Amino acid sequence: MNVLGFDTSTAATAVCVARDGEAASERWPEPEALSGPPGHARELMPAVAAAMEEAGLGFGELDAIAVGVGPGTFTGLRIGVATARALAGSAGVELRPVSSLAALAAGAEADPALALIDAKRGELFAALYEAGEPRWGPLAAAPKEVAARVRESGTSPLAIGDGSVRFRGVLEAAGIRVLPEGARTHVVRALHICRLAATALPKAPEAVLPDYIRSPDAKPR
Amino acid sequence: MILGIETSCDDTCAAVVSDAGEIRSNVIASQGLLHSRYGGVVPEIASRHHLELLDAVTADALERAGVDLDEIETVAVTRSPGLIGALLVGVSSAKALAAARRLPLVPVDHLHGHVVASTLQPDPIEPPYLCLVASGGHTFLARVDSESGYEVLGQTLDDAAGEAFDKGARLLGLGYPGGPELDRLAREGDPEAFDFPRATPGDLDFSFSGLKTALLYKLRDEPDAERADVAASYQRAIVDALVSRTRKALDREGLRKLAIGGGVAANSELRAAVEQLGVPVWVPPPELCTDNAAIIAAGARFLERVAYPGYLDLDASPN
Ligand SMILES: [Zn+2]
Repeated sequence: MNVLGFDTSTAATAVCVARDGEAASERWPEPEALSGPPGHARELMPAVAAAMEEAGLGFGELDAIAVGVGPGTFTGLRIGVATARALAGSAGVELRPVSSLAALAAGAEADPALALIDAKRGELFAALYEAGEPRWGPLAAAPKEVAARVRESGTSPLAIGDGSVRFRGVLEAAGIRVLPEGARTHVVRALHICRLAATALPKAPEAVLPDYIRSPDAKPR
Repeated sequence: MILGIETSCDDTCAAVVSDAGEIRSNVIASQGLLHSRYGGVVPEIASRHHLELLDAVTADALERAGVDLDEIETVAVTRSPGLIGALLVGVSSAKALAAARRLPLVPVDHLHGHVVASTLQPDPIEPPYLCLVASGGHTFLARVDSESGYEVLGQTLDDAAGEAFDKGARLLGLGYPGGPELDRLAREGDPEAFDFPRATPGDLDFSFSGLKTALLYKLRDEPDAERADVAASYQRAIVDALVSRTRKALDREGLRKLAIGGGVAANSELRAAVEQLGVPVWVPPPELCTDNAAIIAAGARFLERVAYPGYLDLDASPN
């Protein structure tokens, strides 16, 4: 099974072409990319084209396109989802949405895993995974609230993701272990988007939307 | 056959246009009413809706045109200016759609689209001509010597003309969208009843912010004034400003043809006034005046097509 997968839920742009669950070509950004300015619009399609070429595949030879639908940066998610939908529609390939937090947790090499993506405005997009299954989340909450939920769940997970790096102080003070800074697994890996897609159900492209979690910040007059 | 995509503000648009400029379809999904409750376009809401609607709008445009995606040879998309999050939905979608088929892509300047709206069939204008574009987002005069570009001769220094209509309508307690409502009320009033200021900034520029303030004071100081008269006088001031600058530009530039575009081109008094300028005037139908993708495809006909993979790193730009 040939799958093209990508994720744009953080400032990094991750892309992978997987053949039967193994990377035929992968762009897995360095952790520095998480704190840099997002460049999804400039980076995503060149990375997709390069990965396809390196894997020696045309779009028509794909069995599925998989996209990380967040939660994460709204603009980044829209770039990823708009790209995935149009590629799938134009090439006639099925589309499978995957949770970006689940893909992040899949790369943790720890169980349970607390996947945390920076939600800005002092909050985290969070989900706790045990044996690959979500215990709770995804949700948007302040770091202290996330720590309280972890305590309630009675587990001691390893926290990963750009959100865990950002709020390391609060999390560690609450007794939560955080993956060391600079570890590459803080970056959502598109290989895991591809792997999770293998068990995800295909959806009509026009029905695939980002998992924003948060409502737009606007009040009726 | 060109597929055009436009998502720069709050209308989700796709269109199919032939290389000769025949419009095969022009689909516009307006979010206007949705944003009216917020008193203006909310960028995040607009961006979310673009993503929700775009694929269906594109499919609809192809179906109405009676063409298959296989018959599309070029994809055209608005790259700037506009709301960056909104633009990115269209740009990302257009790039992927084109790349999956190795089609060429043409990034188009939204304003260029308005300027060449009248070059579409059935009665295409030919350069050189003067173009007045007036909408809720832009107000400018452009000289067009070739369809591939335009030279801005003057523009608004503050509010757009359409904004002046919308804000005026709101002050007058009219419904949404304000422009057409104000136009309707003005028809029943005396445009000479009140004297609103005509701001005359340098050369061929426009300024409408003072006018809105004058209306606010007028309504406060003379609460019993006949509202139709106030609306008519206010509209006359906007139209006068647009027409006087247009006349000046025609004279100064020695141009003998005029095209108008943008949502304000639907205003009945403006349409009547430009007909008195003594030059042939092209006024596109309303659906080509407001934001739409047919004018984006129209612009693409005169621009260089970027072959695959040259456009893969294309980014949108807010200005
Ligand atoms: Zn416009």
